[in-house]
Amino acid sequence: MAGLRITEALAGKHLLVTGVTGFVGEALLERLLYDLPNTRITVLVRPRGATTGEDRTRQLLTKPAFARLRERDGGEAVDALVGTRIHVLDGDLDGIPALPTDIDVVVHCAGEVSFDPPIHDGFATNLHGTLNVLAAVRETNTAPHYVHVSTAYVAGRRQGHVTEGRLDHAVDWRAESAAAMRVRDAVNDASRDAGKLAEFLREAERRHGAQGPSTVASEAERLRVEWVGKQLVDAGRERARTLGWTDCYTFTKAMAERAVEETASDLPVTICRPSIIESALAQPSPGWIEGFKMAEPLILAYGRGDLPDFPGVPDASIDIIPVDYVVNAILAACATTPPPGEPSYFTICSGARNPLTFRHLYDLVREYYSHHPLEQRDRGAVRAPVWEWPGAQRVEQLLKLGERAHKTADRVVTSLPRSSRTRDWARSLDRQGRRLEFLRRYFDLYRPYVDAELHFSDSATLALHHSLDPEDVERFGFDAATIDWDYYIADVHVPAVTTPLRAFTGGRSVKRPPTVHELPRGDGPDGSLVAVFDMDGTLLPSNVIESYLWLRLPELSSARRVREVADVARALPRWLLTERRDRGAFLRSVYRRYAGAEYDELLRIVDDDVTDTVLGRLSAAAVRKVREHRAAGHRTILITGAIAPLVRPVAPLFDEIVAADLAVGADGRCTGFLVRPPLVGEGRGAWLRHQAARNGWDLAGSYAYADSASDLPLLRAVGHPVAVDPDITLSRIARRAKWPIESWHARPPVGPLLPAGRDRRALEGSSR
Amino acid sequence: MPRPGFVLEVDERTPPLLVHSGESFRLQDFPLGSRVIYPPESLPGVPDVDEAIEQALLHPLDSEPLPSLLHAGMRLTIAFDDLSLPLPPMRKPDIRQRVIEHVLEHAARAGVDDVQIIAANALHRRMTPDELKAIVGERVFRSFFPDNLVNFDAEDRANLTHLGMTDENEDVEISKRAAESDLLVYVNVNLVAMDGGWKSTAIGLASYNSLRHHHNSHTMVHSRSFMDRHSSQLHSSAWRMGRVLNEHVKVFQIETTLNNDAFPSQYGFLTKREWEWSMRDQATFLGAKRGIDMMPAKARRKLFQSMEAPYLVTGISAGAVEPVHDATLERVHRQQLVDVDGQSDVLVLGLPYLCPYNVNSVMNPILAACLGLGYFFNMYVGQPLVRKGGAIILNHPVPWEFSTLHHPSYVDFFDEVLSVSTDPKVIEQKFEQQYATDPWYIHLYRTSYAYHGVHPFYMWYWCAHALDHVGDVIWVGGDRRAVARMGMRSASTFADALEMASDTVGRSPSITYLHSPPHVLARVNGSHP
Repeated sequence: MAGLRITEALAGKHLLVTGVTGFVGEALLERLLYDLPNTRITVLVRPRGATTGEDRTRQLLTKPAFARLRERDGGEAVDALVGTRIHVLDGDLDGIPALPTDIDVVVHCAGEVSFDPPIHDGFATNLHGTLNVLAAVRETNTAPHYVHVSTAYVAGRRQGHVTEGRLDHAVDWRAESAAAMRVRDAVNDASRDAGKLAEFLREAERRHGAQGPSTVASEAERLRVEWVGKQLVDAGRERARTLGWTDCYTFTKAMAERAVEETASDLPVTICRPSIIESALAQPSPGWIEGFKMAEPLILAYGRGDLPDFPGVPDASIDIIPVDYVVNAILAACATTPPPGEPSYFTICSGARNPLTFRHLYDLVREYYSHHPLEQRDRGAVRAPVWEWPGAQRVEQLLKLGERAHKTADRVVTSLPRSSRTRDWARSLDRQGRRLEFLRRYFDLYRPYVDAELHFSDSATLALHHSLDPEDVERFGFDAATIDWDYYIADVHVPAVTTPLRAFTGGRSVKRPPTVHELPRGDGPDGSLVAVFDMDGTLLPSNVIESYLWLRLPELSSARRVREVADVARALPRWLLTERRDRGAFLRSVYRRYAGAEYDELLRIVDDDVTDTVLGRLSAAAVRKVREHRAAGHRTILITGAIAPLVRPVAPLFDEIVAADLAVGADGRCTGFLVRPPLVGEGRGAWLRHQAARNGWDLAGSYAYADSASDLPLLRAVGHPVAVDPDITLSRIARRAKWPIESWHARPPVGPLLPAGRDRRALEGSSR
Repeated sequence: MPRPGFVLEVDERTPPLLVHSGESFRLQDFPLGSRVIYPPESLPGVPDVDEAIEQALLHPLDSEPLPSLLHAGMRLTIAFDDLSLPLPPMRKPDIRQRVIEHVLEHAARAGVDDVQIIAANALHRRMTPDELKAIVGERVFRSFFPDNLVNFDAEDRANLTHLGMTDENEDVEISKRAAESDLLVYVNVNLVAMDGGWKSTAIGLASYNSLRHHHNSHTMVHSRSFMDRHSSQLHSSAWRMGRVLNEHVKVFQIETTLNNDAFPSQYGFLTKREWEWSMRDQATFLGAKRGIDMMPAKARRKLFQSMEAPYLVTGISAGAVEPVHDATLERVHRQQLVDVDGQSDVLVLGLPYLCPYNVNSVMNPILAACLGLGYFFNMYVGQPLVRKGGAIILNHPVPWEFSTLHHPSYVDFFDEVLSVSTDPKVIEQKFEQQYATDPWYIHLYRTSYAYHGVHPFYMWYWCAHALDHVGDVIWVGGDRRAVARMGMRSASTFADALEMASDTVGRSPSITYLHSPPHVLARVNGSHP
């Protein structure tokens, strides 16, 4: 009996494929080009910026998936396919251009890839995108075969067997879609409610108050947008769950299927439902995978030792299918046109006849890692954890506990005084936080899949497979029973997933924290270079309260000294609270206490007593850095909230000093007010930009050194910001932004010992 | 009659011996046969210090008596040794105060009004008003400070005079006020043999321009030792400069010597021989050791820095510089000199908490090295206590700690210079000029309390002779990073240090331990035993 011969069946046909830049679409395109030489292809590709759809398609053809094609046909021949065999339509699901009128098969692979999209996004892409494709087809007044790529999990949360066929539900996709759009508007409106806005502002102030109002404002808006996004994601997930689906992705996919069934009853329709698609078993090459999908991050995390346990049931099956099986099944489906109004359904899965249990998968992965462990930089091989399978509930409990502990520890660390130790704590907390976040994301993602003990049946797909001509079985077969899991997991999939990571860590030299490199001499391309330094906390460990006491105590009698110290101590908590919110207000309230002090006396005290204290505390590394900048011909600038007299001891180091000026009354005594507002937070950035514009400074090439998050606007104003013994907030930001973090107030780390004999040679040298 | 110094040979009956190590000390067992050099016991002081001062002023050596040098309308300058002497600081009244008061009384009697008192601190840091007061006393301080009691400023170009060149082409540039005075009286404390003579004026009142001729690696390598002025190129240079100075200004030198009472009586055990410790000494040692080790670092430093020595004055000489200094050296030798037979393979030194440059401050690694290799190593006449190519074992924690107030250029020297080279010659050629003329260091030297920018170089040059002479320097208990930065090695214990030194000196070296402080000057005869 002569069966289906795909190459011949699709020869002379014209296929429209959407989503070729995605995983399945790319694999499908490759097969079409490689094995179906007489099939014409039209693809829908979204232009990106100045890159047209054609350019993107050309770029696509240079990817690893097309390596064997390029090898067989030659690179130039492959490049020439665009515009000849491949017709590119510039557009996306929201704006589909007029389709060619001779299309025989439409394969719709494009869709939302995230499992947790905001509800309106899920509907827009998965449902409306599909409807738009169908509408565009209708415009051509033809009736091509419409092949819809869906997912096996459209079956929703249920137990037991799931047969191939129309989904059994009565959910009205039109109503759900309309509701989703309404939710989007409602959430947007709710986020603009006065109470809600005040909440965002309060939170923004708490976090960034010290940096100034415009930072607070943009942070508040960011918080609002973030909140809207989260509400919409929650809305999607919860709506999906109340209707019996695992998440917004499967829910909207299911809605799309129903929409296809209802609106395309006059077309031949095939719906393909692959389960979890993983790397290729053989084609285009064993282990080929594009991007990381479902299991890969987990496999890697496990190999890194970051996945201590798993919420799944060990004997439940995880339904994985290699991408080339999916592509083969789709091709067979394309070549098998059902009558209009009687859609075909194919579930492309492995669970029905060749189930892989979690336990089996785990054993294979663990076995693989025990022979090929991942190397952690400078720490040797990682030990892969042993899972106890304590059950979803217990894992959830542990995770929750971890999250709570992390949150508390984070709050504590953030409010601790800065030191290299607290910064280390913060760093390890952040690392732990990222790990927890990862676990949370994946556990939430997997929860419904591992909970639902689904058994898909694939008899229609198997029948399709059997319809293949025996000669095609080898090349185009997709019988899941033929997959050898031990080979596929241990020899194909996991090695493919770990290779990029190994190349990444193996080939690179040890990553060093960024540092300030050799300073450029002289001027930058856009003017003279400046180096801006903050004083308190950066040049020397001090603060305005301490320096206030240095200045005020010497001139007071001992009884008044005690009182003064007590007063300051009492005011301290209030001041500290103020400082978090508004540094300018904090400085003003401290400086109010100078009221009545004789200005000349303050100057004398600085010269007689405070100079020693300041110079004694001044960090040698700081002075060296200032002097280096000077030697390099840069203009050195000191910006400080400290009062001007206090700056006198370090004044010779700087070309320009901006300090707070105490107002002095006619009697020569301080009034307790300042001549002008103190330069803090955003004021510093604004001042610097203003001066740069006026004096022709090249800020992009310039440097700034500061220690606290309130100095962020200053740091961001220059091209080379450096965090010096930063507070926790700044150290986190600096680490993320890859700014150098320097420690000027601690001892240098242990250096290498001098090579043996060097001292001896030096000694001998000096005698000659 | 105090007993002379002597050399102990360690035998089975020798108890563990006291070893200084920074702001602490400990008892250490020494291998059998090790030699231990003890200083002579403290000499008695002169019975009446005021009387002795008067005698010296009225019957000077090779000079008219002081009163006949003083007359109304003259310019009188009195210079004195700064706080780097004596160590530890002397219990008040300081001998300089008493001498200066006598000189001022004579000056007042003669109707001299133009008097200026200058601390001869050369490139040392300025002294604070309190530190000045501690040396000259309340009365002098009140009458002369701040206008006529000043720190010498070697960077005040307007107040320096270039007096000419020596016959070896060395610049002589000193304080203008001192050079242009009708009489320059110098009041010194001759703690060790290195001090005094022309070093007082020609170095104490000189600028970098002048100092660079003898404070350099070449001169220092060839000063063998600093404590033996006839074999010291440093001193020869100072003497040449002194002669130039002598042509321009009349110098009346007053030198004073102290006995070995370097520690207050409650720490009597520090100056006793261990086998003679009474029960009380042993108890105080234990108590002090425990107490000190348990103290917070700050309190410990305060305790040590506030220690004042109950020195007695063993003599005062006045008059022309050279005869005065000869008399002085004779007294210093009487107090400190011990005859030692030949050199040994290993020299062991215990470094105390104080050196000339960290009074009221921090002993940084460079100063610790200078104290051991520059000063203690040089406590010899004749030939070094350790043979050429031998090993020095130093006891000091060498904390990586600096006073940015007092030693700002030291921090940079340690980080930027020693990390490039530890060879004094290389360092001198490559970096000295830059540090010596750095405006920020000069600013701090002149206005704050900082040692001059070039000072750490001098400290390192002081070590040059030892670095040139020995084959190995090992610090017991030293901070590994700080010691390695200086191109040396650190050992956890004395036994480990000997083990490490065995590469250089073999497994059964001869060992000499210089039991100091108090100071002891070894006259080393003969050859390697």
